[in-house]
Amino acid sequence: MAKSKKSSSVNLVQRPIKKWAPLFILPTFAAFLIGFVWPFIQGIYLSFCNFNIPTDAKWVGLDNYAKVFKDAGFLNAFWNTAAFAVVSIILINVLAFFIAYALTQKMRGANIFRTVFFMPNLIGGVVLGYIWSMIFDGILKNYATYLTANPTYGFWGLVILVAWQQIGYMMIIYIAGLQAVPEDMLEAARIDGATGSQTLFRVIIPNVMPSITTCTFLTLTNSFKMFDQNMALTGGMPSIMENGAKINATELLALNIFSTYNISKNYHGVAQAKAVIFFILVAVLAITQQYMTRSKEVQQ
Amino acid sequence: MKKLIALLLALVMALSLVACGATEEPAADAPAADAPAAEAPAADAATGSVYYLNFKPEADAAWQELAAQYTAETGVPVKVVTAAGGEYSSTLNAEMAKDSAPTLFQCGNMAGLKDWDEYCLDLTGTDFAAELTTDAFNLYNADGALKCVGYCYECFGIITNIELLEKAGYTVADITDFASLKAVAEDITARSAELGFSAFSSAGLDSSSSWRFSGHLANMPLFYEFRDDGVTEAPATITGAYLDNYRNIWDLYINNSTCTGAELNGKTGDNSKADFTEGKAVFYQNGSWEYAGLIEAGMDAAKLTMLPIYCGVEGEADAGLCSGTENCWAVNAKASEADQKATLDFMTWVVTSDAGTTMMAEQFGPIPFKAAKTPENVFFAAANDLTAAGKYVVTWAFNHTPNVDSWRATVVTALAAYSADPTDANWEAVETAFVDGWAYEYSVVNG
Amino acid sequence: MKKKINDQYTPLSKALSVFFAVLSVVWLIPIFEVVINSLKKNEYVNLDPFALPNEESFVGFANYVKGMTFGNYPFLQSVAYSLFITVASVALILLFCSMSAWYIARVNSTMSNIFYYLCLFSMIVPFQMVMFTLTFTADKLNLNTPYTIPIVYLGFGAGLAIFMFLGFVKGLPLEIEEAASIDGCGPVRTFFNVVLPMLKPTLISVGILELMWVWNDYLLPYLVLDRTKYMTIPIHVQYLKGSYGTVDLGATMAVIMLSIIPIIIVYMFCQKHIIKGVAAGAVKG
Repeated sequence: MAKSKKSSSVNLVQRPIKKWAPLFILPTFAAFLIGFVWPFIQGIYLSFCNFNIPTDAKWVGLDNYAKVFKDAGFLNAFWNTAAFAVVSIILINVLAFFIAYALTQKMRGANIFRTVFFMPNLIGGVVLGYIWSMIFDGILKNYATYLTANPTYGFWGLVILVAWQQIGYMMIIYIAGLQAVPEDMLEAARIDGATGSQTLFRVIIPNVMPSITTCTFLTLTNSFKMFDQNMALTGGMPSIMENGAKINATELLALNIFSTYNISKNYHGVAQAKAVIFFILVAVLAITQQYMTRSKEVQQ
Repeated sequence: MKKLIALLLALVMALSLVACGATEEPAADAPAADAPAAEAPAADAATGSVYYLNFKPEADAAWQELAAQYTAETGVPVKVVTAAGGEYSSTLNAEMAKDSAPTLFQCGNMAGLKDWDEYCLDLTGTDFAAELTTDAFNLYNADGALKCVGYCYECFGIITNIELLEKAGYTVADITDFASLKAVAEDITARSAELGFSAFSSAGLDSSSSWRFSGHLANMPLFYEFRDDGVTEAPATITGAYLDNYRNIWDLYINNSTCTGAELNGKTGDNSKADFTEGKAVFYQNGSWEYAGLIEAGMDAAKLTMLPIYCGVEGEADAGLCSGTENCWAVNAKASEADQKATLDFMTWVVTSDAGTTMMAEQFGPIPFKAAKTPENVFFAAANDLTAAGKYVVTWAFNHTPNVDSWRATVVTALAAYSADPTDANWEAVETAFVDGWAYEYSVVNG
Repeated sequence: MKKKINDQYTPLSKALSVFFAVLSVVWLIPIFEVVINSLKKNEYVNLDPFALPNEESFVGFANYVKGMTFGNYPFLQSVAYSLFITVASVALILLFCSMSAWYIARVNSTMSNIFYYLCLFSMIVPFQMVMFTLTFTADKLNLNTPYTIPIVYLGFGAGLAIFMFLGFVKGLPLEIEEAASIDGCGPVRTFFNVVLPMLKPTLISVGILELMWVWNDYLLPYLVLDRTKYMTIPIHVQYLKGSYGTVDLGATMAVIMLSIIPIIIVYMFCQKHIIKGVAAGAVKG
């Protein structure tokens, strides 16, 4: 993370630039303060408050956090998100890797296939949600049911949607990784008479490990932050009563935070507290990734 | 350690920078906020201006026109903004947080009033309140202050195609209670192939129309329960004493409809309306607001009427239509005094001037103000006839529903599952959604 | 690319080609669905979304006309706002973030250290953490219009962009800049004439990633923009579906079609850059 030591000749460049700081760094820094730093600090503060707008915030200590942990809907959303993350990580990465592997082999039309598989990425989450809800409802109609009738449909519907959307993206990363596998290693394996699966597991996979780590964590964070698709596909429906509490059975964390905010102005603080917890979760995941990637790099 | 200091420093800098920004900004803010509304005359601080956050998308054009006319006549700028369907509360939340917040907004039920009480100006004794003909649709807070004024009222029931009913061999007079409604509906179902139409239009549970059942139809069990218990404000729990009656009428709807129960989930409000306007169904549960749409679709006003919803409660032969309102105006108590005055003047003008009352009659039907014009809507005529005949008005008990959209969503889920597979176990889920859901939502809103 | 002696496709590779050809067709079904349903009357979309339009259900471009004018808000206006916001935001991000990255890389001061660590930090913060408060701040500072919202995007997007630029700038040889400086170039000229051209591949990568993000973003503009006046395409699509009483799937699909077409056209022309950008972004992010 630390910057590389600079030679003394840097000063030749550094000195004059310093004078130009207002031009080079101030615009971004100002926007960064407005768009990120201040909302972040205010967000932490307001998670301890009851507020409608920031100016009428009243300090309530840990009340909001206490409410979050008693909220069955939030816990349900957490487990939904975790389950969704696990399923989509495995599904997307396995499929993306094998498609990438096949497409890097000698094959007629590989470029066209790559183009096609990547295309869904260009479509926004809200639009994807509506397209797929029409498709799923159209299929389920034949069985006299519909997408939001059963949480299972909604869950797997979202998995299918996200797989369709993200496989192409991960495929691109895997292709880049596969193309970087040194040709002489493959050649050596071939000369040693290694079988296809031996080459795959002993040579290729260890070499594309960085891509695998990247894709795994990309799919992980994508799943945790999933909002648009969730909202547009099922909107968290069906909502059901369970043990005296209402839960939106297909709701993921990000959507739960959003809908909590909209219950009433008394819930703004609770929603903000949920957001802080959500931030901590995502941050822990991201830092774990950094740590794991780094320790791998050291090993190699 | 160095990094930590750097991080802390950054935070301090950020704080101080934004703090500076915050103190300077009111001055810079005011002129820019008006820039998009350039067509309106510049807001004069002394005369104030009006910002109405409208609730009804279908009335948007009419409001814009009326606002423009008022501005042309008086020079007072009136801005009308309409929230997208189903998004009023989130839009209101967002708008109220702004410096240029709405001065006139919608606050339609006790739960809403509880939420927005401090933002609602006490309207007692204003010139506007003096124009009212009845107190029936107004909302008062705990201290008895007049906070929200019902500016129109609506009625709902079973819209009936008299012509088709007669084709089936019945008249409106044959239907006086649940038993007779059921007999007629089931007879039509038995002969539907021969008649070429069904009894009820599809009771679509798609979100575009499910409020007809989770909201309006659910009013029946709520109304009778609250009547028995003398409930006047939102109760923390309900018993669901009349849910069997709710099941009666719902069973009737799904068993005598243009489609099967399982298909209802995909049926939209448009499908249901089309069933009715195309002559595929005799009955269509909806409200007075549908009148213009039905006429536009080519129906003949003389062939239309509205029946009370019967569900098998004792003495319901004396029931009238469900009349009430969730259209109440509240004036923003946190707006400047000049803006409040401008807003009240505008409201008074709307309910007294020729242009205002004409528009209100066209868009909203009868309004409870002295200068009101009589609308041509036959459903209100039906409501008045029933009242004149001594029937009791079924008031809008659902206005007490806590966290209303969320409660309804849960009821719809259960209702949809039951419609696809009408077993007792599935009905129990409806009861749970109804009763436990109510208690839960109440605790969410008040806890 | 190296060639094997035997240049023929093996039977296995032919079989794979066929398999992937079939899979590609399956992959395109959802888009195909949008096309056919956008040409059908609403009732028929509900009836069977998989049926091809026939004489009875075909409505030509009526859905497109309806979708463009639906709900008191012209669709083209949303398209225009979307276009402006995307172009302006990406331009701002590319220009200012590359400048900042260069400054941070070349100047070893407390300020640039602070900024660097803040950028790193911002990359792990999900939008949900700041979205409510960002709305208030943006409203206070009049950043709630399409003309000013690019500043919000610059602020929220700065972290990743600066990080990616930094990775590249650090690899640039200092000697060139020194030479420029000895030749009498000031920092501004050095940056625009010497550094920026060398940054071109990264500019494209970052540009593509930010473009895809801003164009498709729903929540940020939904919360920040003054919703009573401005909509972007994703907000418009959601608005169509959300208006109660009138869910016209045919018209919705037409609008979706209109919003997809430009993306697909851009994709066809810049495919190589897009795919390269994604690969580059992933390795660094």
